[in-house]
Amino acid sequence: MNLKHLKNTDTLEFFAIDEQSLSSIPLFSDSVQAGFPSPAEDHMDMDLNLNDYLVHNPSATFCVKAIGESMKDAGIKSGDIMIVDKSLEPRNRSIVLAVIDGEFTVKRVNLNDNELYLIPENSNFSPIKITQEMDFQVWGVVTYVIHKTV
Amino acid sequence: MLPTLYIKLYSMIALVDCNNFYASCERVFNPKINLKPVIVLSNNDGCVIARSNEAKSLGVKMGQPAFQLRNLIDKYRINVFSTNFALYGDLSKRVMNVVSTEVKKMEVYSIDEAFLDFSDFASKERGIAIKNKIKKWTGIPVSVGIAKTKTLAKVASYIAKKHTASGVFIFKDEDLIDRALNILDVQDLWGIGRRNASKLHDFGIHTALQFKQTDSRWIKKHFSINGVRLQKELYGKACYQIETLRKRKANICTARSFSKEIKELNKLREVISIYANNCATKLRKEKSCCTTVSVFLSTNRFRNKKIQYNPYKSISLQVPTNDSVEIIKNAIYGLKMIYNCDFLYKKAGVVLGGIVPEEQIQLSLFDSLDRIKLKKINVAVDKVNSIMGRHTVKLAVEGNKKVGKLKQMKLSPCYTTRFSDILKVKC
Repeated sequence: MNLKHLKNTDTLEFFAIDEQSLSSIPLFSDSVQAGFPSPAEDHMDMDLNLNDYLVHNPSATFCVKAIGESMKDAGIKSGDIMIVDKSLEPRNRSIVLAVIDGEFTVKRVNLNDNELYLIPENSNFSPIKITQEMDFQVWGVVTYVIHKTV
Repeated sequence: MLPTLYIKLYSMIALVDCNNFYASCERVFNPKINLKPVIVLSNNDGCVIARSNEAKSLGVKMGQPAFQLRNLIDKYRINVFSTNFALYGDLSKRVMNVVSTEVKKMEVYSIDEAFLDFSDFASKERGIAIKNKIKKWTGIPVSVGIAKTKTLAKVASYIAKKHTASGVFIFKDEDLIDRALNILDVQDLWGIGRRNASKLHDFGIHTALQFKQTDSRWIKKHFSINGVRLQKELYGKACYQIETLRKRKANICTARSFSKEIKELNKLREVISIYANNCATKLRKEKSCCTTVSVFLSTNRFRNKKIQYNPYKSISLQVPTNDSVEIIKNAIYGLKMIYNCDFLYKKAGVVLGGIVPEEQIQLSLFDSLDRIKLKKINVAVDKVNSIMGRHTVKLAVEGNKKVGKLKQMKLSPCYTTRFSDILKVKC
């Protein structure tokens, strides 16, 4: 499913479903009966599917729960669910799920003058410098965060 | 003897085989245990069913009972897991999906193996590319073996795993194949089980190369047409194609090891009834019927000093069926024929064979059963059990005991299939 951009207001963005991406979805589920057809019929049997929106590569995508506040300024709060795509190559400034010496951590990648840092997004935490001696590996790239507001 | 005809247009097949699959699945979500010994235990935490390389080199054997390993586990801090099929199934599906993006035709052969059609373009580099993509996308390490036939691809993947750094191996020339078969135990050939291997050993055939060079008439005499096919495959002549359609299961089996050995016929009858009914339910789910009902028993093979007794009895049915009552009745009949009160039994099982589609059944003229009525009963029972839980409605012969919950002391979370279980990471 693709979303087509429709309109911006001051606070909200509006999207429509790109119909080309829906060609495989049947529009009618029942046989046609006599009487005036519902004008809404063409548009039934369609739901917004959050999977389609959040998951671009199902085979390589995993959900991971964040515990702790080190990334709160990047919008990742304790208890949030992160969508992690293993197939993506991290770029500079990507938020990644990394493994350092066997331990998982979520941080922002920062490559500067050939020095690699993992940066927290919370002033109470310090950056981690990645050195040759460390066993360091990027497990996946964080692509979305699901945050509960109620 | 060399087959006289070589086909000119040959196919190329790649076998993608996940390395120590269950152990590797556990590692994806637990990087701390990388490079550490890992084992996975079977249902009820009974026997070892997967080992990491580190566990293999500590001498842990496949199928070894957990109680024999207690000292080793403590001494070397082996990481022990109960089977988590929800997790392994999910990762398997992912691996297969990744493979399917790379080839036009593939056959999912088991939870951790797939045959790929490489006929369009076979190279080591293609194998390496697929291997790297699977590792990157899913975290699962695989080996790839490439050859003209499935059997040789299997051998190639074995070599890839044991003897290459890249994890990918391709059979290019005949000489290489024979050198590989020369160091391969005949038991490790595809389709040669423990029983066939010991028979071959008795005839002085120990390596796969010896098997390849044996007179095919002799092989046919002792190992039927399947042995001949296997031999042809070793010569690069494909007898088994890539099967893209899921075939109806060849047989359906329920077998379990008991936590305590059983001696009494009454108890065995209960157990066999439960297994038979379990099989019958699976059969109906597949909309199939069976034409044979087989029963087997085994004594404890880890009690070396005792005489072993592993009887097997197969009963043919006149009309194929999937009726629980009929299948249980035949299973018990078979059990009574093989039961010997002088032994303690560790394992029992029921196998339904000769599976045919439900709709293709030919009714026998002399059939005394009202099959339509029986079908209605079975449909009703299945429905109740699917809503209210397995074993809600059962036959009296299955006994009154609650079916024991699986013992899974070391179960890892279902990281990929339950939101409550997803990986939690400190931020």
